Amino acid sequence: MGTTAEYNATAGRVIIDEHQGHPGIKATTLGYAQINDEMLAMLDKPRPSYYLLLLGFLMALVLGALSLAIQIDVGIGYSGISHPIAWGFYITNFVFWIGIGHAGTLISAVFYLTRAPWRTAIYRSAEAMTVFAVMTAGLFPLLHTGRPWLAYWLIPYPNERMLWVNFKSPLVWDVFAVTTYMSVSIMFFMLGLIPDLAILRDEAVRKGNKLKAMIYAPLALAWRGTNHQWVHYMRGYLIFAAIATPLVFSVHSIVSWDFAMSSVPGWHTTIFAPYFVAGAIFSGLSMVLTVLIPMRAVFGLQDYITNHVIQSVSKMIIFTSIIVGYAYASEFFIGYYSGSPFERAIFYYRPFGEMESWTLLGDNKINFPQIAFWLMVFCNVIAPIPLWRWKIRNNPLAVWIIVALVNVGMWFERFNIVGSSLQHEYDPASWGEYWPTIVEVGITVGSFGFFFTLFTLFAKSLPPMAIMELKEATIPPMKNAAKGH
Amino acid sequence: MSKFTGVWAIFEYLDETTDTIEQVREQGVQPTVITPCPRHEIDHALGNPSTIIPWIALAFGALGCLIGYSLPAWTASDWVLPVSGKPILAIPPFTIIGFELTILFTAIHTLLGLAILAIIDSFRFPIPNAAKKYPRFQRDRFGVVVRCETDKIEEFEAIMKKNGAEEVHVEKD
Repeated sequence: MGTTAEYNATAGRVIIDEHQGHPGIKATTLGYAQINDEMLAMLDKPRPSYYLLLLGFLMALVLGALSLAIQIDVGIGYSGISHPIAWGFYITNFVFWIGIGHAGTLISAVFYLTRAPWRTAIYRSAEAMTVFAVMTAGLFPLLHTGRPWLAYWLIPYPNERMLWVNFKSPLVWDVFAVTTYMSVSIMFFMLGLIPDLAILRDEAVRKGNKLKAMIYAPLALAWRGTNHQWVHYMRGYLIFAAIATPLVFSVHSIVSWDFAMSSVPGWHTTIFAPYFVAGAIFSGLSMVLTVLIPMRAVFGLQDYITNHVIQSVSKMIIFTSIIVGYAYASEFFIGYYSGSPFERAIFYYRPFGEMESWTLLGDNKINFPQIAFWLMVFCNVIAPIPLWRWKIRNNPLAVWIIVALVNVGMWFERFNIVGSSLQHEYDPASWGEYWPTIVEVGITVGSFGFFFTLFTLFAKSLPPMAIMELKEATIPPMKNAAKGH
Repeated sequence: MSKFTGVWAIFEYLDETTDTIEQVREQGVQPTVITPCPRHEIDHALGNPSTIIPWIALAFGALGCLIGYSLPAWTASDWVLPVSGKPILAIPPFTIIGFELTILFTAIHTLLGLAILAIIDSFRFPIPNAAKKYPRFQRDRFGVVVRCETDKIEEFEAIMKKNGAEEVHVEKD
């Protein structure tokens, strides 16, 4: 079994000789032409099952669109959001999708700077996920306002109302953070694609497919791969990676300040920024594996997305799971240690519900936050524990089940934060209950449809792996191998 | 741009390509090299060429930072929102806008800089149309393009053949 040999080879300290290839990643020993052909074969005419999958995602998207149409027609009152719970499913979805969007830039920028060799095969897909997830996330604050057609009011521009946006508001910081993150992610993604689009253009020319050549030629921006282009490109790419790295950590910090800057119990805490960032990386990496493990099986990419790659991402998932678990515990401790009755009350309410009605027999009324809390703890803290074992990490199916649970858990974590505090603020007279309406559920399902539709279309229209970088990582063709450099 | 006089060759191996580059440079000519992916061996052989991209990024990043602080400062002064005696010009919240616009400006102008430099370089270091149309440079072949006077062509042709070029093409315009 090749995977065992891979593991044994990679166990302990690995010295990577670029003229030998990485022992855990078989793709680093393949030739340029083979990589080229195998990657381009992924873009061949899809099988019927692809269209079925796409149809499923499109149906979810249509459901979301219909729900949105109903909400716009009737008004925001058709959702379950009402006083005192002003933030419900939409803001939960916003925070969740922004989190999913963190893995791509983490993998493409942070692991580029740290020279992690396992990132090469997965970064393009992860980056595409970032772009699509941030696009999905960006919709929600606009839908949440109830009148999305007035969204441009968020942008500071001279206007006849003689007003400016309030730059001291975390919500305006969020507009800047999310739009910057989306813009930089799209540019980074497009930058990485340019040499690969030139490959597609030349391949279309080589095979005499004039239509494809006409489509890819303008997209490739006259890329020829000359040393002059490469020197600018590589330095530009490095700069992108360097500036995207602080951006990864800043975006979710700023999203967390939407909550932490308020004086709501359970939100007003300094732990929020690192807590949100760790959670974002945790959920983002889980989504990457949720999508890539099936993709690896469908396209037969075992040489590229090797078990070593899955193991490396799994280790990051364990690491961030511990941070997230610690943050949960820390929140409870600070809730208790602050001495504030309101903080104590909210941290009692989250797991157990109303204090007066709770009994050991469990005959109290269950609210949505309690379901969210226990799912969150199970999926994010307990479910990833088996990943500590090498045998589990080396089993893609087991990893997939765990990361799928983490996705569920992270959605409920976002709800646990967004939904519970507003239901149980300071004054018992203003406590309330929140259950989503069918429209909110429909739009949430639609958001998953939107994300997966875009990703499915991407996987067949653009190279899901960075062909150029795979070539860069592999052994170069040498006539006299002993020559080295 | 279509006017080109010189030699261009196709190589299968990286070491043959770097040998050719070094020997061409010894003749006092800087070749243009076409590769399917960046290789540091090529950079070393070419004498580690540099780029002004970091300066473009720095300059526009600084501009973004300046705008990021001054836009909120100006708008806060233009429409004053007094809250509990807190400062109207507050540096900590404006730092977030300053940070974001620094990143945004750096990114946009790095990308624009790359595009503009690529256009400028295509005029400064032209490559023959036949080399542009050769479809395997993006796939698995290396190219070395030497622009020279007609009387030097044979000399460079000999260097390329000696180093094992798959094909050598002479262009005279």
